[in-house]
Amino acid sequence: MSVGRRYHGRILLTTATLLVASFFALHAQGQGRGRGNADVSVPTPRLSDGTVNFGRVAGEKGIWQVPYITNMGMQLVDDQGNRLAPQPQRGGGGRAAGAPLGGGEGGGGGRGRGGAKAEPWVPFQPWAAAVYDYNSRNDSKYDPEGYCLPPGGPRMMATPYPAEIIQLPEQKRVIMIFEGATHIWREIFMDGRPHPTGDALNPTYLGHSVGRYEGDALVVDVVGFNEATWLDYFGHPHTDQLHVVERFTRPNKGTLHYETTVDDPGAYTKPFKMAWDIPWNGNGELSEYICQENNKYLNRLTDDFNQPIFGPPRR
Amino acid sequence: MKTKLALGTAALGLLLAAVPVMAHHSFAAEFDSNKPIKMTGTVTKIEWMNPHAYFYIDVKDAAGKVTNWGLEMGSPNGLMRQGWTRNSMKIGDEVTLEGSAAKDGSNIGNARSVTLSGGQRLFAASSQAPANP
Repeated sequence: MSVGRRYHGRILLTTATLLVASFFALHAQGQGRGRGNADVSVPTPRLSDGTVNFGRVAGEKGIWQVPYITNMGMQLVDDQGNRLAPQPQRGGGGRAAGAPLGGGEGGGGGRGRGGAKAEPWVPFQPWAAAVYDYNSRNDSKYDPEGYCLPPGGPRMMATPYPAEIIQLPEQKRVIMIFEGATHIWREIFMDGRPHPTGDALNPTYLGHSVGRYEGDALVVDVVGFNEATWLDYFGHPHTDQLHVVERFTRPNKGTLHYETTVDDPGAYTKPFKMAWDIPWNGNGELSEYICQENNKYLNRLTDDFNQPIFGPPRR
Repeated sequence: MKTKLALGTAALGLLLAAVPVMAHHSFAAEFDSNKPIKMTGTVTKIEWMNPHAYFYIDVKDAAGKVTNWGLEMGSPNGLMRQGWTRNSMKIGDEVTLEGSAAKDGSNIGNARSVTLSGGQRLFAASSQAPANP
């Protein structure tokens, strides 16, 4: 390829990227306003008893198209729902378009990883800041999702595989099914039971979830997380003191609004709240995805001394 | 005219790629988006498996030396949402791919798109594709 053609190709790519960026910008803004997803102009579906239906309408398909939120640090909001992270100027170029939903690399190659100092609004404890810096510096190479381990806590709603919410009012529980990252489900007890305490609360990847309806919102309280997950791809850490309160609303058929409060006195100096929208894909269905089948990433993963993490040491 | 057509095709292609992609491991830990690759070769092996499908191709350089490359794509379910089937590519097919090379200099890459022997160009559900759909 001649230099001229390569240059031409680059212009083409840049232009195309900008076009795509504008598409995402429209799409992201449109999710709450009626553009890009026809279901946002359809009223919220309800179950026969009037409860908001967080799943499919009988006879129809549909899945929640969970977005890829790589850096939850960009999703922090104040009590009024305003984002704490500085917002990029509208129309200001390629990355700006993705920022409202994601805010970072997203697998694109290490751009925008500034560690804890780049997120002064995140109330890190010093050790959590240091761990976050470490994950930032090594491109999240030790991300548990790369080991085919489940996302935990709010990361289930930020890992870009589709999900379904199935309400079972007669059984007093809600089931959430996730296609990825590890083909997993959550059971949310709606029967008014409390969380187990003491040794009865066994730390798990997804924790122990109890829920209730508050008006049109499904509010889920989760405790009992283990420490084997990260809050997000960028590697915000957490401890087993993590307490998550999630608030799901469906302002229209096409939108699941997700708000979550993260309270982890083991890693952060105060609780913080995050929020994002999850679009409905009315033609989607879940399909099989078994991450553990052939995870070659592990075969090539090396530690900080360039030695394989699995397999014999290099000489 | 030709430019316009090419631009339109590129934009359309990228819009199609806007279907949320799969994200499994850290792309940046393994691949370098600043090391773009475009290569054509003959398929020698296909692994239609999770969490990433792989295919291997023999690539011949100008001097006639053949090198075998391994290319990572998305998961089978992600690829099917992009229009693939397990029979889209067969051993012996000549394919062209665009993507990124591994950081460690090995003959491994991440394929973003693949042009199949029949001329059809499919996106490979790469975790590199749109950063924040």
